[in-house]
Amino acid sequence: MNNAIPTNIIRFIILYLAQIMIFKQVTFSLGGIAYIHFIIYPLAILLMPVKTPRAVLLIAAFVMGLALDMAYDSVGIHAAALVFTAYIRNIIIAFLEPFDGYSVADVPTVKQLGFGWFMSYISIGLLIHIFVYFSIEAFSFVYFFEIFLNTIFSFIVSFIVIIVTQFIIRTKY
Amino acid sequence: MYNVIQLLAKYGAHILFVVLEIICFSLIINYNKAQKDIFINSSNVLTSKIAEQQNQILQFARLKNQNDSLMIENANLIENLISIDYASDKIPNPDSILNQYSLIPAYIINNTTHLRNNYFTLNKGSREGIRKDMGVVSSHKGIVGIVRNVNDNFASVISLLHSQTRISCAIKNRLGHGTLVWKNMDPLRMNLESIPKHEKIAIGDTVITSGYSTMFPKGILVGKIEMYNVVPGSNSYNIVVRLFNDLSNIQYCYVIQNRFAAEQTQLEKEVENE
Repeated sequence: MNNAIPTNIIRFIILYLAQIMIFKQVTFSLGGIAYIHFIIYPLAILLMPVKTPRAVLLIAAFVMGLALDMAYDSVGIHAAALVFTAYIRNIIIAFLEPFDGYSVADVPTVKQLGFGWFMSYISIGLLIHIFVYFSIEAFSFVYFFEIFLNTIFSFIVSFIVIIVTQFIIRTKY
Repeated sequence: MYNVIQLLAKYGAHILFVVLEIICFSLIINYNKAQKDIFINSSNVLTSKIAEQQNQILQFARLKNQNDSLMIENANLIENLISIDYASDKIPNPDSILNQYSLIPAYIINNTTHLRNNYFTLNKGSREGIRKDMGVVSSHKGIVGIVRNVNDNFASVISLLHSQTRISCAIKNRLGHGTLVWKNMDPLRMNLESIPKHEKIAIGDTVITSGYSTMFPKGILVGKIEMYNVVPGSNSYNIVVRLFNDLSNIQYCYVIQNRFAAEQTQLEKEVENE
């Protein structure tokens, strides 16, 4: 359990750097409008231990979001979306609770909670995050079509990237 | 204090979430141009909607005041109309005649039209300057009656629709004058009597007040001639006049104050007494 804090901090930093140095540069466009964005940083929040207090999650998400916003030059948008994701995370975990419950040391990874659980957990969390992110970016549901397309395409590519990295890098915590 | 701590322990995360989101959104709105524009636009739409609703409600509440002020304005306009009628007469007028008539707006608070002798009650009385024998009009188009009794706050008006009504009327642009009386029970029709039968009249002619009394100035519109005939052996027409205003649904009226009424009646009485 004591290892969880440094592991998470390192994961935060790695995901942050990966996001702004690699995935920020990669944006495909379809039909003239950029629909495909790689959004993998929610993983930092989603992979924190199951029993992490909500306040810690929220503050971590806020800091991460603001740091990303500095890089993306979009003050507050990532932070707002990520804080929302951190808030909703515990609800998703409670929703997906296995028959025998969670143990204190559980970390939501493939290794500990199984591939099926991990897939549904990441997909729900990521989809919500991406949808909220694009909604806040558009800031008006007048652009519902754009929000929808952005969400679908970005979700697919980000999800693939996350699953692949989870099979390549397997952390214990 | 303990309660506050307990509350924070229980709902701290939710409060923190709300606080952080508020911070984020204020940042978004303050530092991103596109979102700021959308926010300002939406909030403008919202606030103007709210203001509109509020305005509608307040306007409804202010209807009474507005109506009162409109009535005062109307009174002034009708006064001017009456003055213009006098000013356009061929006879040179002294300046004072322009201000001979002034109008007092009042609400009708009681009204009958179905009796043989009908009366109105007005919500203003002698405190506002209403006196006995003043004329009452509903607008420039239509007379209502004559004040019969006044107390401090109310005035009782003999309606046009009264068996004793006698109002001196003339026909616009024609000679002769007659008396307006109410013979039938129809609240829209009155009879004009004693117009000599050698005068030319036609259906559709406008009946106006003649100005031969102290109650009504000359030229207030009363109605239109709907039908006329000559009773055999009679010397005058029997004319049915259709009134311009429907006395059963009027709500406010103007009492005509004639500044020289007392002088005129006094003089006429002296002549009678001789």
